Amino acid sequence: MSNDNLIETDVLVIGGGPAGLAFAIHYADLSKKNNLPIKVMILEKAAVLGNHTLSGAVMNLKNISQLLPDVDLTTIPTQTPVQQEEILFLTKKNAFALPFHPKAMSNKGNHILSLGAMVRWLGQIAEQKGVEIFAGVAGHEPIFENGKLVGVFTGASGLDHEGKPMANYQPPTEVRAKIIILAEGSRGHLTKKLIEKYSLAQDKNPQVYSLGVKEVWEVPEGAFLQGRVCHTLGFPLSSDQFGGGFVYGFSKTQVVIGFCSGLDYSNPAFDPHGALQMYKTHPRIAGIIKNGKLIKYGAKNIPEGGLFSLPKLYHDNFMLIGDAAGMVAMPSLKGIHLGIKAGMTAAQAAFEAIKAQDTSKETLSLYEKLFKDTPEYRELYASRNFRQCFTSNLYFGFLKFGINLITGGRGLSLSGKSKLEADYKHCETASKDNHLPKVAFDNKMLFDKEADLFFSGTKHNEEQPCHILISSRDTCVDCIERFEAPCQHFCPAQVFELSRDAQTNKGKIILHPSNCVHCKTCDIKDPFQNVTWVPPYGADGPQYDNM
Amino acid sequence: MNIIICVKQVPDTSEVRIDPVTNNLVRDGVKSIVNPFDMYAIEEGLRLKEKFGGKVTVLTMGPPQAEAALREAISLGCDEAVLVSDRAFAGSDTLATSYTLSKAIEKIKDYDLIICGKQAIDGDTAQVGPGIAATLDIPQINYVRKVEEIKDQTITAERVTEEGYEVIQSTLPCLLTVVKEINNPRLPSLKGKMKAKSAVIQVWSAADIAAAEDRIGLKGSPTWVLNIFTPPPKPRGKIFEGEAQNSVNQLVESLKGIIH
Ligand SMILES: Cc1cc2nc3c(=O)[nH]c(=O)nc-3n(C[C@H](O)[C@H](O)[C@H](O)COP(=O)(O)OP(=O)(O)OC[C@H]3O[C@@H](n4cnc5c(N)ncnc54)[C@H](O)[C@@H]3O)c2cc1C
Ligand code: SF4
Repeated sequence: MSNDNLIETDVLVIGGGPAGLAFAIHYADLSKKNNLPIKVMILEKAAVLGNHTLSGAVMNLKNISQLLPDVDLTTIPTQTPVQQEEILFLTKKNAFALPFHPKAMSNKGNHILSLGAMVRWLGQIAEQKGVEIFAGVAGHEPIFENGKLVGVFTGASGLDHEGKPMANYQPPTEVRAKIIILAEGSRGHLTKKLIEKYSLAQDKNPQVYSLGVKEVWEVPEGAFLQGRVCHTLGFPLSSDQFGGGFVYGFSKTQVVIGFCSGLDYSNPAFDPHGALQMYKTHPRIAGIIKNGKLIKYGAKNIPEGGLFSLPKLYHDNFMLIGDAAGMVAMPSLKGIHLGIKAGMTAAQAAFEAIKAQDTSKETLSLYEKLFKDTPEYRELYASRNFRQCFTSNLYFGFLKFGINLITGGRGLSLSGKSKLEADYKHCETASKDNHLPKVAFDNKMLFDKEADLFFSGTKHNEEQPCHILISSRDTCVDCIERFEAPCQHFCPAQVFELSRDAQTNKGKIILHPSNCVHCKTCDIKDPFQNVTWVPPYGADGPQYDNM
Repeated sequence: MNIIICVKQVPDTSEVRIDPVTNNLVRDGVKSIVNPFDMYAIEEGLRLKEKFGGKVTVLTMGPPQAEAALREAISLGCDEAVLVSDRAFAGSDTLATSYTLSKAIEKIKDYDLIICGKQAIDGDTAQVGPGIAATLDIPQINYVRKVEEIKDQTITAERVTEEGYEVIQSTLPCLLTVVKEINNPRLPSLKGKMKAKSAVIQVWSAADIAAAEDRIGLKGSPTWVLNIFTPPPKPRGKIFEGEAQNSVNQLVESLKGIIH
């Protein structure tokens, strides 16, 4: 690699979500205060900041005011204070309000907002503070030297389907930094490599995930109160499945409808996108959107394993923050303010390390030490065994959750640490019993994947190597035989198509990578771990703007 | 070889929505992009520079925001950028625009080749490129799909016609307008994006390019737009099928009906 393609900086942040931006802002502030040069750079794979951001989002704003004490928080776009909240248990036709509202789930004082809009807002502030942000650039490959991470390569472009350079070939850029911050969000592909290489998840529970599938609807005024937050349990999931729906009154005429499905389900035919469509057939939900119009669609994973699934947060020259590390508090399903806090504490550690010219793991351990002393860490601690309660049965889960509340989160296990199993290990053999009731798609209220996908705005350069890597096509044959290709169901963007030979009935998977919305479910849930997600060309992918 | 590329910033039509109530185009919040055809012009300019050396200057006329289009061109590898921007240019039609860009090109001086996209997607007139060549009084080759050779101050290129293609040779300096088939544009690298961020964009006013007052802006724009409409599609041609002798006779008969 010629030096022509080399960039050097002090701190390189991979991912411009709330965690990465909070890190960069706080790092810039600390450097400025101490008259040190501000050399921090963010790479974000979305074409525009916020375009790959998808959240609820009901947000606790307290850490934004810590991060930006001098900024008027009413300038955050799209925010609306929570006015009303409820938790409903749905049967097929009815809805019952939960008689109590667990304190850990209360949203009093929180705000409903578009995280994408907030991320763009934070991005402007960061740039004013001297942070260099490059959108449309993905971190592709880690660079190691003497066994230590020293930078990343961005992706090359101008490659044909086989990966051979064409006339418009552009080589990767090599970015070297003293410290690298992994803020890639859930199931980051560089993060995954680093966790493996340095065994950062040793002795931890494996991470487990939920796939959140979300739509934004324009509705007539009065259809759903602005500022209302509704969470639901039950329909359309059976009682052995973890998950639930959410409906947020985003503005007078916009409502957010989403459904999160725990990926530890075992029915290979289960379809998280189908679950959202089925959810909308419930009279309670259908009533809200019946005169409305779909305006946006998207899907993204949430790491839900909690404290015991957090890997070690640092190593020589790098730190993990936010969803990349799995910092989501359950059962409130909140990660934004945790990511911001993690970003701030990591910035403190990075600043000290750069100042001392020592970026070893010993110095960076300050990050974990500081983070353990935050209210956000205590939030994770309090719910440390939450997700473990719900691995078999919803009702039994509530019983265990109740015991958890009484024992201060400890539960009944002797060690105080309940175990989890990776999502991909849950998969039953395919049979007729697996088949789920069919949704009557009308593409007015109930959208099939293809129609919904249009509203994600996703697009990919057609001329590039496929970014969904399949390790072994033979394994696909086994998988089709045993499980009837769960990928065709779990992918919310119809990237995987099972095609059968008319004569032999032999199955084959056909890929449509340009449909991908970067949710990473395939990387997580494939029962043989046969699929690896890598970033396509920079700027490719969904165009979420306000999700 | 020094190359000038003319680009235009246009609204991203893939994002333009129609207001269901007023039926007007909703341009609010719509991203601006470099006119897609101009991306092929940029790519061709860069490839020629890679082959023959020299410098690529990218030029646009537009409001201050049009600077973004120039930065994008720099991120792809263009060396210099000029924005001609002045309130006096407001309301320019294709004639005034051609004149203004020509004046800027005269100020840039030393050029061998000017490359434009075949047309802009927001107006579809395809007049500015040819207009520049006419104003500068230099030869032009339009709808170029391939540059075959550049040698001894002459260029040989293939241009697309409705029936096929023509091979045209011209002396330099010369202006080309290019079609999509000519190449496959590159994507910016991080290094390129970084250069673009810190690049200095020269901004020239009407006075800087010594533009005559009555030839720019509304004053210099004789075009009157009466109506904008989609032309009706060409009717399908008639196909005479069957045995050769028979269809030839039929063809002759029907031609007799048209030609008296
Ligand atoms: C459906 C759903 C609902 C949620 N609801 C809430 C809620 O109501 N309240 C709440 O507090 N939290 C909620 N969360 C969680 C919250 O959204 C996350 O915790 C939060 O977004 C984490 O921030 P982050 O910066 O760590 O990651 P992200 O927001 O995921 O940002 C990571 C960024 O990194 C980029 N990136 C990834 N890899 C690369 C790479 N290799 N190179 C360059 N860029 C890269 C991505 O494009 C992305 O922009 C919800 C999540 C989901 C999915
Ligand atoms: S291919 Fe994988 S990452 Fe892309 S949308 Fe489908 S499941 Fe998600």
